[in-house]
Amino acid sequence: MSTTITGRTQTITDLDAAAVLDDTQSTRRSARPKRRRPARLEPFTLFSYVCVTLFGLFCLIPLWMIIAGSFTDESSLARTGYSLWPAPFSTAAYQMLFSGGALVTSYGASLFITIVGTALSLSCTASLAWVIARRLPRISRPLTIFAYIPMLFTGGLVPLYLLVTQVLSLNNNWFAVILPVMLAPFLIFVAVSFFRQLPEEILDSARIDGAGELRIFFQIVIPLSKPILAVLGLFYAVTYWNEWFMALLFISDPSLYPLQLTLQNLIANVTNAASLPGATVSQAAAPIYQLRFAMTVLTIAPILLAYPFAQRFFVKGLTLGASKG
Amino acid sequence: MQRSAAVALPKRRKPTSRGTLGLLLLALPGVVWFLIFAYGPMAGLVVAFKDFNISQGIFGSAWNGLDNFKYFLASGDAPRIVFNTVVLNTLFLGASLLAGLLLALMLNEIRGHFYRRFMQSTIFFPYFVSPIIIAIMLQVVLSGVGGRGGLLNNLLSVVDLPQVNWYTEPGAWPWILTIVKVWQLGGYTSVIFLAAITSIPEEVYEAAAIDGASRARMALSVTTPLLLPTVGILVVLGIGRIFFGDFATIYAIVGDNGTLFPTTDVIDTYVFRSLRTIGDFGTTAAIGLFQSVVGFVFVTAAVLVQRRVDRESSIL
Repeated sequence: MSTTITGRTQTITDLDAAAVLDDTQSTRRSARPKRRRPARLEPFTLFSYVCVTLFGLFCLIPLWMIIAGSFTDESSLARTGYSLWPAPFSTAAYQMLFSGGALVTSYGASLFITIVGTALSLSCTASLAWVIARRLPRISRPLTIFAYIPMLFTGGLVPLYLLVTQVLSLNNNWFAVILPVMLAPFLIFVAVSFFRQLPEEILDSARIDGAGELRIFFQIVIPLSKPILAVLGLFYAVTYWNEWFMALLFISDPSLYPLQLTLQNLIANVTNAASLPGATVSQAAAPIYQLRFAMTVLTIAPILLAYPFAQRFFVKGLTLGASKG
Repeated sequence: MQRSAAVALPKRRKPTSRGTLGLLLLALPGVVWFLIFAYGPMAGLVVAFKDFNISQGIFGSAWNGLDNFKYFLASGDAPRIVFNTVVLNTLFLGASLLAGLLLALMLNEIRGHFYRRFMQSTIFFPYFVSPIIIAIMLQVVLSGVGGRGGLLNNLLSVVDLPQVNWYTEPGAWPWILTIVKVWQLGGYTSVIFLAAITSIPEEVYEAAAIDGASRARMALSVTTPLLLPTVGILVVLGIGRIFFGDFATIYAIVGDNGTLFPTTDVIDTYVFRSLRTIGDFGTTAAIGLFQSVVGFVFVTAAVLVQRRVDRESSIL
């Protein structure tokens, strides 16, 4: 009985705090009283620790093998296979990559696509989402449907290919990688549901002070929406950084290849060659494996470095999107 | 609950006509993008009914009725790629949902706040690994340097089982790809489930504890049933996407390795390959149109079902 009472008071204070924050997400989470620590360790809990840890290792080991492989001398890779610890330690692959020009140009291409792409995606997503969220009579509703239909029906690969190559002539242009994936309808709707939660009072007070619609958007809505913009920006940035299919379709000049495509070029056909029974050790003795691993590490490095700081935004964005359907 | 809150909100003020103009300007870039890159290709689907010729362009090429569709059906590839697409997607969906559900249930058991956060981040990470890198990681596991060994074969040799050349074994690939999908999406799905678990009221667990339920019993008889609506919605959404293969992952892994086509070739990879190697735009567009139409029926049905379910459970 007493737990119920404490539970209720806690709920009320949390609700008050949440009302100030005006964040329904936090209301839901903090309204729950803390779960008590079970008195003893139950078998299922123990089992859970073991399984989750094993799955975590399962997720990390391939990555670790790549990193270890990138520091292992090629000849020993060929002789003893992969090992969990790089021995003998060698940075030859990295030295080769950094001395060659291909890495720098690929990095440049990927950075351009990611930075320009994310900026374009974010500005278009936010502005379109705000107009939808603004509930304008005769405009917002049709716009919602307009942005929703492409989630149900797509033209497919061939018309897109013809559009980019024939109509827009964007062959060998980084914008051919950016534009086709620039807007994600799903993320637009995530932004809409966030915008609709903004307190109307603030917007009203700005209106009373004589702010126009554009001024309200740029000076009030955008600053208030930094958390969601961070989430959307991160999702778009990862998409662009990992984008490879559009580059495969539209970029044929190796000096314009983004990282993912350069990397794919390093592994293309090696899969097949490796699976042939006649593949010999001497063939494999070329430093190609260590190079591939080093290139992989350098490709994934930005995501790996940003991930510890960014992951809570991803979790937040996902649960926000999921809870709004 | 959220729905009623939304209704209670005061109505947004009507903007002035000048304000409306400003807002329309704001929406313009997005609208133009949708017209060109989302609706443009839909119009371009007429290629499916044409004898396409690059020099004559999309609208200049001659019509050829249903010839493109007949050609595709006559090639005999249709049943195989449709079958593969549906089977693989079903495996992917089932396995990643099951893994996500189990992981969420088990993550929920972890009491240490730091460890729990750490593990959640760790298993969510593969979601951000690009298909090309997944392909490279898989090579490490399945075939070592020069095509010999690999982690899996090393394990097999420990227990005295014969070595397998995985890249020439089509029969194993639906399962290999399913494991890859579990690796990629298990953590992602578990994050969705964990969000749903957080909204389960604590009282339910207290009641279960008073009745003497163990943690395992609570996970099985309290959490799991309460997660079923979420599972249902994810299943419905997954079925909606069942005609769209995960092109990037499959193509990055399998590439042009023809030995594996019997079990791994899906509609999307087939379309891409015919576009590249044959360059027959009409036929490939016909396959694409077929996929879009069937896909549309499935997605729309899924959305309608989801809306109906959604009205009753506000979890998703």
